[in-house]
Amino acid sequence: MSARILIVDDNPTNLKLASDVLRSEGFAVETAQDAEQAQRLLLQQLPDLILMDIALPGMDGLALTRRLKSESRFSHVPIVALTASAMRGDEERALAAGCAGYITKPIDTRAFGRLIGRFLAAGGS
Amino acid sequence: MDVPEDVGTVEAELARRLLWDTPDAVVAVTAEGTVVLWNAAAEALFGYTRAEALGRRLAELTAVPEHRGEARAPGTAASEPAEPIFETVRRRKDGSLVHVNVSQRAIRGAGGGPLVLSTIKDVTPLKVLRDAKLLEAQFRNLLESTPDAIIMVNVTGRIVLVNSQAETVFGYPRTQLVGKPVEMLLPERFRAAHNAHRGSFFSQPRTRTMGAGLDLYGLRSNGEEFPVEISLSPLVTEEGTMVMSAVRDVSERLKAEQKFRALLESAPDAMVIVGRDGRIAVINSQTEKLFGYQRAELLGRPVEVLVPERFRGNHAAHRGGFFAQPRARAMGAGLELFGLRRDGTEFPVEISLSPLETEEGLFVSSAIRDATARKRYEQGLQEANRLKSVFLANMSHELRTPLNAVIGFSEFLIDEKAGPLNAKQKEYLGDVLNSGRHLLQLINDVLDLSKIEAGKMEVRAERFPIRRAVDEVCTAIAQTAAAKGIAIRRDIGEAPGEVTLDRQKFIQVLYNLISNAVKFSNDGGEVWVTAMQRDGALRVSVRDRGIGIRSEDLEKLFVEFQQLDSSAARRFEGTGLGLALTRKLVEVQGGGIAVESERGQGSTFTVSLPLQAAARGAAPEPST
Repeated sequence: MSARILIVDDNPTNLKLASDVLRSEGFAVETAQDAEQAQRLLLQQLPDLILMDIALPGMDGLALTRRLKSESRFSHVPIVALTASAMRGDEERALAAGCAGYITKPIDTRAFGRLIGRFLAAGGS
Repeated sequence: MDVPEDVGTVEAELARRLLWDTPDAVVAVTAEGTVVLWNAAAEALFGYTRAEALGRRLAELTAVPEHRGEARAPGTAASEPAEPIFETVRRRKDGSLVHVNVSQRAIRGAGGGPLVLSTIKDVTPLKVLRDAKLLEAQFRNLLESTPDAIIMVNVTGRIVLVNSQAETVFGYPRTQLVGKPVEMLLPERFRAAHNAHRGSFFSQPRTRTMGAGLDLYGLRSNGEEFPVEISLSPLVTEEGTMVMSAVRDVSERLKAEQKFRALLESAPDAMVIVGRDGRIAVINSQTEKLFGYQRAELLGRPVEVLVPERFRGNHAAHRGGFFAQPRARAMGAGLELFGLRRDGTEFPVEISLSPLETEEGLFVSSAIRDATARKRYEQGLQEANRLKSVFLANMSHELRTPLNAVIGFSEFLIDEKAGPLNAKQKEYLGDVLNSGRHLLQLINDVLDLSKIEAGKMEVRAERFPIRRAVDEVCTAIAQTAAAKGIAIRRDIGEAPGEVTLDRQKFIQVLYNLISNAVKFSNDGGEVWVTAMQRDGALRVSVRDRGIGIRSEDLEKLFVEFQQLDSSAARRFEGTGLGLALTRKLVEVQGGGIAVESERGQGSTFTVSLPLQAAARGAAPEPST
């Protein structure tokens, strides 16, 4: 059974890109455009990995990450931050919030699937 | 011979005429000193008419006001004059003094009472000549050797001796000076007062400066007045007390002082001149304006009155230090300096100090500039620069988001993940992708530059092998180089094996330089990459045989957004940021970059880096 990925990103185009790339690599993808939607989806089904855009409207990606990491039912799900890498310190803050790692935008579509696979393998061990 | 009819009458008439016409003053006084006889010559000599003199006491009329050793009180010892003939000093009605020769005799008056009859000759000019002769002999050589004009005056105010400096200064030959009242050398308006002052000097003779605190003037023969300084000394001689005045023409000095003041006033800065004692000696009017004091309130006060309380202790110590090693310099280099106004407010200042050698010793001259405007301006600039960096960071973040889609989807399409493409579709999508990547590079460069300018660029030094880094960059560029038939040659035999630098930045620098070299080389050319250790530093050179750079453009080379040649820019696409960024990436690690180039001959870029980058962290990021 293919791994399930939840992508949280407020930009619909980027959301589509990430999900289409991952789907083409054989992942099962669910998408959410904000923290609220993401939490609703999480209550229905736990993904194997969450791809979290940091700059979200309302509750931002880091706040959501911290909340999920503080709840036992979600804390084991690896979260990988998607950062624009423009603001120095984004990466550090992502790791501090509990992310397993980060991927900088623009995403490299040719390496994206492999990268996610690596995070899944690390998170599953 | 004829005998007059009345000899007695003729004799009496003759005696009366003689008494009246004789050139000598003839005066008779009673035992009490009351004048009973006063002839015409006495009128001329003393300035009192017969009517004024008769019945007055002689002492009231002619005695010098102060007792003087040589001046015998007139009309005393009428019955027994001690000496029948003597020389003394008498006063005239106008207050001036005369030297007189007095010959006295006691007689019996018509009423039977004793009288003193005196014949008085004015010997003032004779006396001057005698004095002059005496003084000439004693003092001439001495006087000629002093730089000042020397004028000796006797008690009657007559000039007895001058030196040649006096002749020069006043413009008279000495023959026209000796014997004349000294007041001839003074402007008219000072003469009366001078007479009185001279009298008081003779009554209390001691060496001193004339008219302390007053402006004194001399008068030259041509009528010109000039400022002087005069010092007086009494000179006791056998001919009586003389006064020796040393006169210094201070026109030049005053002119120099005026020039100096004009200079001070014309300075844009507040000028405060302070003596070794720390007291303010001179200020200009800019100082009054800047500190809010009147000149009189500052002169003589310790300069620390202009310094805020908390700096005063140190200031006094530093002042001592300056006098110990006086040289022109800026005060408190690198420190924030403040001035204190009269109203207690403080303001930032810049101060430069210079020593000022004067006749009165060493002073320090300080030029004080109000730095308020500059500080405000600098703060404004800093704030503007910070806002610019924040703006650029935000902008590039915003620009990346759509680029993520542009680049991602074109890659995805080119890779035919969304289905097969024909050749044209693939080519066009390739163009979209390349343009997208170029745009991304531009955004990244802008962001990096703004980070460096905002001081937010971190240096993350790590130990890594040079060879591997060079290989990595050459491999990355190999494809582009091969497409133009350009060979990249490496010579890193003399390089240190490992360095401790920011590896990512090192690679970025090398990448920029080599890809530039490839870009500006003609097809089929060569690019040389040399790394070596020189003078304890790593030196990396990248040389091409490309189009080269005009010498006038070399300076602009490392400046943001200065692509040199617009036609070249069209042929060789670039951001115009690469070299500016490269330089900053080198400098932030403590290195430098240089270029040698000749138009049409190619360019050599040389980067020097320390073998170990100075650890230089960025300011901590504010937490969000």
